[in-house]
Order: sequence, then C-alpha cells, then structure tokens
Amino acid sequence: MNQPALRILLAVYIAIFIAFLYGPFLVMGIISFQQGPEGGPQFPIIEWSTFWYKHVLGLAPPTRVAPLPIGEALTRSLTLAFATMVVATVLGTLTAQAFRTQFKGSGFVFYLVVLGMMVPGVLLGLGMSLVANQLGVQRTWWGTAFVLHVVYTFPFAFLVMLAIFNRFDQRVEEAAWALGVTPMRTFRKVTFPIIFPGVLSAMLFAFTLSYDEFPRTLFTGGPDVTMPIAIYGTFSVEIHPNLFAFGVLTTLFSFTLLTIYGVLMTASIRRSQAKASGIQEDIE
Amino acid sequence: MMELEGLTKFYGETCALRGVSLTIEDDEYLTLLGPSGSGKSTLLRLIAGLEQPDSGSIRLNGEDIASLPPHRRGLGIVQQNYALFPHMTVFENVAFGLRWREENPVTEEAEITKRVDAMLDLVGLSGFENRGVGQISGGQKQRVSLARTLVTEPRVCLLDEPLGALDANLRERMTLELRRIRDTLGVTFMHVTGNEHEALGMGDRMIVLDGGAAVMIAPPEQVFDRPQTVRVAQVLNAYNILQGRVHEGRFDHAGSMLPLPPNSEGAMHYAIRFDAATIVPPDDPTALIRATFITSEFTGGGVTYFLRGPDGVFEVERHLSRADPQVYKGGQELGISWAATDALAFDSDGELIVSSNMRGAA
Amino acid sequence: MSMQETTQKSALLKRNKKFALLAPGVIWMMLFLVVPLCMMIYVSFWTQTTFSISSDLTLKSWKTFFASETYFGALIRTIRLWLIVLFLTFIIGYPAALFIGQFVRNKTTQTVLLVACVIPFWTSFLIRVLAWRPMLGKEGAINIVLQKFGLIDAPIEVLLFTELSVVIGMVQIYVVFMVGPIAFMLARIDQSLIEAARDLGASSWTIFRKIIFPLSLPGVVVGAIFVSVMVLGEFATASALSGRKVNLLGNIIVTQVGSLKWAFAAVIGVVLTAVMAVVITLLLRVVDLRKEL
Repeated sequence: MNQPALRILLAVYIAIFIAFLYGPFLVMGIISFQQGPEGGPQFPIIEWSTFWYKHVLGLAPPTRVAPLPIGEALTRSLTLAFATMVVATVLGTLTAQAFRTQFKGSGFVFYLVVLGMMVPGVLLGLGMSLVANQLGVQRTWWGTAFVLHVVYTFPFAFLVMLAIFNRFDQRVEEAAWALGVTPMRTFRKVTFPIIFPGVLSAMLFAFTLSYDEFPRTLFTGGPDVTMPIAIYGTFSVEIHPNLFAFGVLTTLFSFTLLTIYGVLMTASIRRSQAKASGIQEDIE
Repeated sequence: MMELEGLTKFYGETCALRGVSLTIEDDEYLTLLGPSGSGKSTLLRLIAGLEQPDSGSIRLNGEDIASLPPHRRGLGIVQQNYALFPHMTVFENVAFGLRWREENPVTEEAEITKRVDAMLDLVGLSGFENRGVGQISGGQKQRVSLARTLVTEPRVCLLDEPLGALDANLRERMTLELRRIRDTLGVTFMHVTGNEHEALGMGDRMIVLDGGAAVMIAPPEQVFDRPQTVRVAQVLNAYNILQGRVHEGRFDHAGSMLPLPPNSEGAMHYAIRFDAATIVPPDDPTALIRATFITSEFTGGGVTYFLRGPDGVFEVERHLSRADPQVYKGGQELGISWAATDALAFDSDGELIVSSNMRGAA
Repeated sequence: MSMQETTQKSALLKRNKKFALLAPGVIWMMLFLVVPLCMMIYVSFWTQTTFSISSDLTLKSWKTFFASETYFGALIRTIRLWLIVLFLTFIIGYPAALFIGQFVRNKTTQTVLLVACVIPFWTSFLIRVLAWRPMLGKEGAINIVLQKFGLIDAPIEVLLFTELSVVIGMVQIYVVFMVGPIAFMLARIDQSLIEAARDLGASSWTIFRKIIFPLSLPGVVVGAIFVSVMVLGEFATASALSGRKVNLLGNIIVTQVGSLKWAFAAVIGVVLTAVMAVVITLLLRVVDLRKEL
C-alpha cells in the first residue's frame, strides 16, 4: 500500500507507540541517577549521582539498603537459561523433525506440546508445587524450576523449527542420498547447515524466555533465587533506585547481545546468499 | 542391466503405477514419455529408492535392490529442480558425492580435484568451480546437477524432466549436449519427460507411459510411425484420430467414407498423421473429407493448419521445404486428402490392426 | 526377502524412528505439564482446614469459592481486566503491526523496528513494571510533564494505585505480543495480491477489509492467545501498581499458597484453567493454526 497520507499517519503513530513502549525506560534511566542512599525511586531528582550504579556493582559503602544478590542470582539465571535453551532446542528440533511426515496422532502431539506455552505460569507453578509436596521432592531451581522452564520454552522452539522445516526443500536431502551419502551424514552436511539460522532463533527465544521467567520459578524455585525472584523480593519491601540502575545495565547488556546476534545472523545469511539458491524456479 | 517387474504403487486409493515391467539395457539412452499423471515421476522415485513399491521387483545385474535404501543403490538421479546444495560452491556440490559417500569415498584431495575438474570440463563448465550456486543460470545449474551425479559413476542415471525449465534455444543445445555426454561416458540414461519432441528426439528406445501402465516400448521411429494403441497416438500429439465404424469395406466417419488398410474389419478408430494429410480444393476427386479452415500456425520450419472437419478439429502439417505456404481464408471450404496406405486402423480395444503392406508417413 | 516382507520391515523401522523422535518431548510434557495440572484438579477436592490438609475428597472449597463475594468477585474482575487489556492491545497494536508489516518495505528497517519492540523484554519484566510507579504517581513523570505544559492544573490522582494503572502497565508490557505475530502475518502477504486488487479498482478500505485483515487473522489469534495467557495468569503487575487494591485470581493463588491453603489455591487454579480453556478454544475456532504454519 502506498497511500502517502496513511503512511505518514501510521509513521507518526509508530513514533508515539515506541515512545509509549520506551517511556518507562526513560524514567528508569533518569531515576537511576538519583542521589543515594537517601534518594527514593520517584521524582524529583534530589541530586544527580552515580551512587546506585556503584551500589549495584557492589562498589558503594554499605548502607541500610540491601544490595541486590547479583552475583549468585544472576549466575543461576544465566545457567538456568542456558540449560533450558539447550534442552528446549533439542526437544523442539527432534519433535519438529518427526512432523516432517504425516503420522497418526500428530494432532494430539501438536496440541500437547503447544499447551506448554498456553498454560499460565501460576497454574503450572502451583501444580508442580503440589506434586513436589506430594512426592516429598525438594523444590530447586535446577530441578523443579528447570523442568518447568523447559515446558514453557520447548513449544516455542518447536514452532520455530516447524516453520523452518516447512520451508525446507527435502529434495536436497534426496539428492544427497542418491549420491551415496548416508542419512546421518546428509543431516550433518546438508540439512543442518541449511536450518542453522532457524536453530539459532529457537535458541535465542528459549534463552530469553527462561532468563526472565518469573511465575513458574516463584513457586518451584526453592530457596536459591534466580534474578527475577530476587527482584520480586524487593516488591513488598521498599524499592530503591538501585533496581533501576540494574535495569539500565541489563538493557545495555542485552542490547549488546542482540547486536552480536544480529551481526551473526546477517553474516550467516549473507554467506548462504552468496552461494544461495541452487534451486530452479518452479516450472509453471 | 536393470529389470523392473510388475511395479505397482498406490497413493491411498489412487493407483499411480500398475504392473510396470521393463528391461533397461547397459549403455543405452532410454526416454520415457508420459503426460501429467501418468506416473513417470513415481516410477523414477521407485527406481531411485525414494519411495517403496507396493508390489513388484527391481533387479540390477541380477541383484534385487528393492530392499536397499537410496544411498546404497549405486544409481544417480538428476531432479527436476536440480536440488543443488545452496550453501556450497559449484566445486563442492560436484565433489560432494565423491567425498562423503558411504562406499569408496575418495579421500585424496588431489584425486577429487582431478575428477571434478574433468567432469566440469565434460559438461562445459570449466572455470565455474568457485561460483556460488546462486550466481549461475538455469542451464548452468542443470549441468552442475548432471556433473554432480555423473562424477560418482552411477550404473544408471535417472533424469526427471531435465530440460523442462529451459528456454527453447537452450533446450535444443542441451539435447545435443546430453547425448554427447552420455555417449562419452557409456552410462545408461533414463530420461523422463512429458514433451514428445524430447522423448522422440533423444532416445535409442522409448517408453510411453499412460495411466500408470507402460503402453509401448520401442525405438522412437517405430513409436512415431506405428503407435501400438490409440492412446499412444494421442500422447504423441501428431495424429488426427477419427471415430467411426466399418461399412461396406470403408471407414464411415460421420458420413465420409474413408479407405481402409486391408484386413481392418473391426476398426473403430482411424488415425492419419498431421504430416500425411494434404489440403486440396473441396471438389478435388482425391478429397476424402470436407472441412472449413479455422486458422494456421507458423512454426518456423513449417505451417500447421487447423480445420474443422465433420467431427472436430483436424490438423494438417506442411513442411515448407516442400512448397510455398498456402494461405486460406477463415471459413473457406476445403478438402483433405491422404494415401490409404498412410492410414492406421485400431480395433475396439484401441489396438493397432497390423497389415503386411503398411509403411510409414510420406 | 519378499517384497511384502521388505515393505513391512521398512515400515516398522520408520515407525520406530518416529517413535524415538517423538518420545522425549511427549514424555517430558506428560510428566511435567499434564501431571501437575491433574494434581491441581485433584487437590482442589481435598479437605482443607485452617491448619492441615487431607486427601479426603470434598466439595467444600469449591462451594466457598462460588459463595464468596471476594473470590467470585475476583473472577469477574479478572475476566473484565482481561477483556479490556485484550481489546486495548489489539487496538493499539494493530496499527503498529500494520505499519511494520505493510508500509515498511525495507527488510532491515522492518527487523530494526521489530527488534526495537523486543528489546524491552530483555530488561526484567518486573523492573519494567516497577518503572511505571514513578511515571504514574502524583509526582510522577506524566503529571510533571502535563503540568509543565499547562495541560492540567492539578495532578491526576487516578493514574497510580488503581485498576487503571494496572491496565496501563499490562497494555504496555503485553502489546508487543500482539504486534509481533500480526506483523509477521502481514509481512507474508504477497504484494501482488494488493496490486491486483488496486488494478481492479478496490478502495484502500475494501482492500484492508477483504484482503489484509482476513490474511492477518491467524496473527491476531496468536497474539490474542499470548496476551490472554499472560493476562489471565497475571499477579505481579496488579500487585506492583495497584497497591493491593486490585486482586486478580493470580494474586489470590499466590496469597493462598503463601498461607499454605493448598486446596483452595487449587480450586482457583482450576477455575482459571477452565477460563483459559474456554478462551483458547474460542480463539482457535477462528483460525486453524496448524494449517497456517
């Protein structure tokens, strides 16, 4: 569509929309420079200072404000996210591979898997707690919480891989087999390199979802907290600008990560485009 | 030598192939002509092992290969869409089979380079080794696909509509190229197509497939001159086929009495090839049927005339080397004539009624 | 081996391979998704006293839920909030998705815009929720800005610690879940369809109504499902922005679990599950998702 008036209108709208999305960031950014340690997380800014950044990084002198348990909780979150990413992507790829051909009960499996992302975290967390109680199993971030993280992220990885496989032309695999190459080796040398960008997306998805996961972990995480739980812990107590300083830091960090991911993706796409599409256009 | 016996394949309720049997000799160019839905791609896929037949057997030099997976059959397949590996260069594509196959992979880089270069030279793509697969034209992709298969020295090379996506000019050139390459290597080619010119022009032997069954297996000239069945004549797209019945020693086609070949009492179908008929003035004594002129089509080397006969469209083909192209007016009344010896009669089963003094087209 | 035998043998091999591929995922989901949910349903029928719980089955907790104003009211409030947020995210998100999916032709800009929408996610959801407090309060950013520009005389009080603040917070955080899927579907629409419609003389509105919107419907459904799942299970935003005033089903579950009233929490969980199930079934009626992929 090329209506110029409509286009400008929508462009303005998008600008407002993005302002709406990022408004809190701006506020968060500003308040993170609040004077500390007496300054609170609201306007007005009493005095500009980087106190809270130092506080977050553990470099500030001790105050009555408890520092965020960054070291441990952060490590746990990252480890959990990484493990979830690996397991979810593997499960997602295996299951999507099975869906490349029709089979009886495929509807059942499809909805069973997709159910994992359609059940609110509270419910799953509650259910798992009940099960854990009943079985006398301890709640741990690497046990009860981990399995729920996978339940949550596996469907996403599955759907991404499903979409990738749907667009994948099986005939290159058949060509490789006909040349005498075993199916195993064909997967490694032909199929996987082609679907790799998709696998990367699935992994990124899974990592992101797990890293910021909160309700499921709240119920099943056990005594050792992950980052989101640690932050939630400050909800009912007073909140301080150190939270916002932390928020700014994580935003910058994730921005960097996304940029790296973007660069990797573009490089991978460009490489495969240079040798791209040896596939003839449809004869029609 | 490959023997196919009674190959049958169903997709659900639909029968794609019914009891196809044939022998594929060493060092021959075999073409398979079949309209859409005739089962020709299915047949190739069964032979290659990409699908399993419901019944029947496939033997290669006496050995039953039907139970072998595709990567163990020692055959090659060049697919319709070329299926080149998008993430590899031309060289890597061609070398792929040699490097990574299960049986006797070539481990020495020097040996691989030697063979790949030789093959690229054979298909006329020297210098293209490092091109990306997305940077070459359709005809070049087809040659890479061919090279990739042939470098592994398959016992039989299956080609699925290899010339389908090429423009007419390129198609003609590739026709010659394919024959040359095959003759040089001595590999058996089984070339499947829906294009009758391709099938007729390229094969030592030709198979006509229709409705999942092999309806005729013979050298191309024989198929063209004496189609075994009415269906073959139809698939060739070179014959006028007239319906009618025998009446007092002649063939009664919608009132026109046509001369019959001898011993054709049970004839129900009558065929006369496009280039065996001539257009004559309507009251010419040799005119066998009357027709009105519809239109003509200039085909470069000749003209095809379309006329409306007593029962449908009648096509007459005239090669310009014979005479000046005649021009007619739409609706003009004309007569069509041919020699009785050029006519083919088919019985009620559609089978050709053979007589000893038949000969080919004029 | 006869033809029959080889065909049968290879069919069996194929089935085993398929089984091996599917088994891990299916088992995982059965164990860690289906079992906990079933457990929750089971426990909702347990007998719960102030200090203990036993597995004797009873309907008491259920009766308490439906009889009580507070709890039943929470159900109504949750559904109402969900509908409002769903509606708003749709209204606000669709034009944005339209712009990204249809009007931006450059693929890079499209990606940049989508990434811009996604980056907020990488900052912990909870911090983003908390960031609304200094924005909405009496001395918050919005009031300061509006007063500075002379648009209002006195600060708007109703922005924080009310249901409105919860709605604002939720919409802002979840609208991206609407934009993503819709933009994805819109970008997939073949431009030549729209050009052909134009050539045939269709107005922009007709093109939108008959081509663009229907084709974007799967994205709308997916977005609606995502938003619904998140909003119906919500408790953190409500807790942070409403100062305990807004109690959603999610909040009640959390408090009940906090005081170890498992059976009652389970009842609420089952009610929530039922609501979810109805919502998703209805949404999936609109579009068959499996085909769309």
